[in-house]
Amino acid sequence: MQVLQVNDISKHYGPIKALDGLNLTVDSGQVLGILGPNGSGKTTTLGVILGILKPQRGNFTWFENRYGNDHKLRIGSILETPNFFPYLNADDNLDIVRQIKKVPQQDFDELLELVKLRARRKSAFKTYSLGMKQRLAIAATLIGDPEVVIFDEPTNGLDPEGIAEVRNTLQEIANRGKTVIMASHILDEVEKICSHVAILKRGKLLATGPVGSILSNDITLEIRSSDLQRLREVLSQNPSINSIENKLDYLECLVEDSLDIADLNASLVQNGIKINHLVSRKRKLEEEFLEITSKQNN
Amino acid sequence: MLRLLKLEWSKFSKNNVIVLLTSFFALFFPASLYIGKLFPDDLPAFLPGKQVFFNFPTVWEYLGYAGNWTVFFFMGVMIIYTVTIEVSNKTMRQSIINGQSRQQFFFSKYLTILVLCLIITLYYTIITLIVGFTSTPNPSLSLAFENDMAIPRFFLMSFGYMNFAIFLAFMFRKSGIAVFFYLTYVMIIEMLIKWLVGINWLDLGVAVNFLPLNAIEDLMPMPWLHYADFFQNGDIDFPILLTYTEACIATAVYGLLFLGISYFSFMKRDI
Repeated sequence: MQVLQVNDISKHYGPIKALDGLNLTVDSGQVLGILGPNGSGKTTTLGVILGILKPQRGNFTWFENRYGNDHKLRIGSILETPNFFPYLNADDNLDIVRQIKKVPQQDFDELLELVKLRARRKSAFKTYSLGMKQRLAIAATLIGDPEVVIFDEPTNGLDPEGIAEVRNTLQEIANRGKTVIMASHILDEVEKICSHVAILKRGKLLATGPVGSILSNDITLEIRSSDLQRLREVLSQNPSINSIENKLDYLECLVEDSLDIADLNASLVQNGIKINHLVSRKRKLEEEFLEITSKQNN
Repeated sequence: MLRLLKLEWSKFSKNNVIVLLTSFFALFFPASLYIGKLFPDDLPAFLPGKQVFFNFPTVWEYLGYAGNWTVFFFMGVMIIYTVTIEVSNKTMRQSIINGQSRQQFFFSKYLTILVLCLIITLYYTIITLIVGFTSTPNPSLSLAFENDMAIPRFFLMSFGYMNFAIFLAFMFRKSGIAVFFYLTYVMIIEMLIKWLVGINWLDLGVAVNFLPLNAIEDLMPMPWLHYADFFQNGDIDFPILLTYTEACIATAVYGLLFLGISYFSFMKRDI
């Protein structure tokens, strides 16, 4: 089932194009990561589909119009920062969200337990650390058991412990089978959590699909020897090696997955090259992202 | 409707600034009537004695005029605060994200104004009746309510001030700017428009009395201005106050205008 359909949305602020003819589809159960550098239009996309920004062109449909104007009652969302009344405590703030979402009275015990805020539930929001504020916002998104949850840079500004906590919570939410839309520029985070990605740059959608389809089958090799120049000469003659890049004290090669590492090693030995470091790994999302966005630059 | 009011109550009933401004209003509004006690006993013959502050039927006008200032200041500033604090804390955008429609958010604010107007008009009525019945020699119900529609005028005046305040809050969105403009417009800018532009420059005559805040103010004017003809010189050859009917119509028209502009601006703008 289709959860969101975005058709040709454009949004500009004066001469600056924040979104330029964006088309996007999100299906039920997907964990979609919207990737892009700062200013690529991630938050603007979320702002438009959540109704706080008015696009100049285009339209979007939630849940194939099943819920009419009440579709946002089925969505939980944090956009940019956690937004609550600073003088109210966690219970009071969550109760305001509950009233807006037209959910029957509840005690929030389970939600506050999930985000580890039960002990501080009676403290005013303004006394919370950034991590606690973020976790309360995550709890608020889950009120009313929404079908879709949307997070915008959920680990922004958090310390490593906070990042790990929030990431675990997000993973837990994703595991519950909810549709998750998450904007982030932290690719490692997206790779760990998301099933699908959409890559944006300057308001345009560059690529979209399952993470596996975005990640190519190519393999990255890190190779080091005492004579890097000679190593490069020999490697450049191998037809299965698509590119070679100089790193600080090793070469990074993009190779086809058909390449046999043992054969490569043997050919290097035949050419009198002794390698002292060899690592083979699948391409990271970060590498694909940089390649896709750099193509756009060119 | 009740759901929207309950939501506003949840948002603001524990806010110190709101509680403080409401308490000040509740205290200073009736207390300001006692300025009357400070007047000398030997007032000029053309002026009524100071008992008019407390006796029926004139107590309606004097307490109403006290309300003119206290509603303008305490309730007006409070209404601005209830909107701008939602902008600065981004709870306005979060409410829309969470599922409130823009219309619901907008009308929850106006609904709050209407309910507040009803409550403070009831407060005005109760205080007036208490003061009047305890001060007037030989009070009677017919004398008590001989008040030239003071109760609906007070309600409309309260709505006029708060409507203007919320209009500025929606337009400016920042509490400092909105409050500054609200206070300076009422106390300085409209005065300058009225006297410098309207009377001295354009010679608009009685039309200057129809400026928005002047019209609201004339619903509950300073009672002694009814004697203003006594002081008038040749420069002003028109009544200094609007009639109550004129003031009611002008306030209602401005009210609809401010409401309409605020609504369409709020519906169109990014939040």
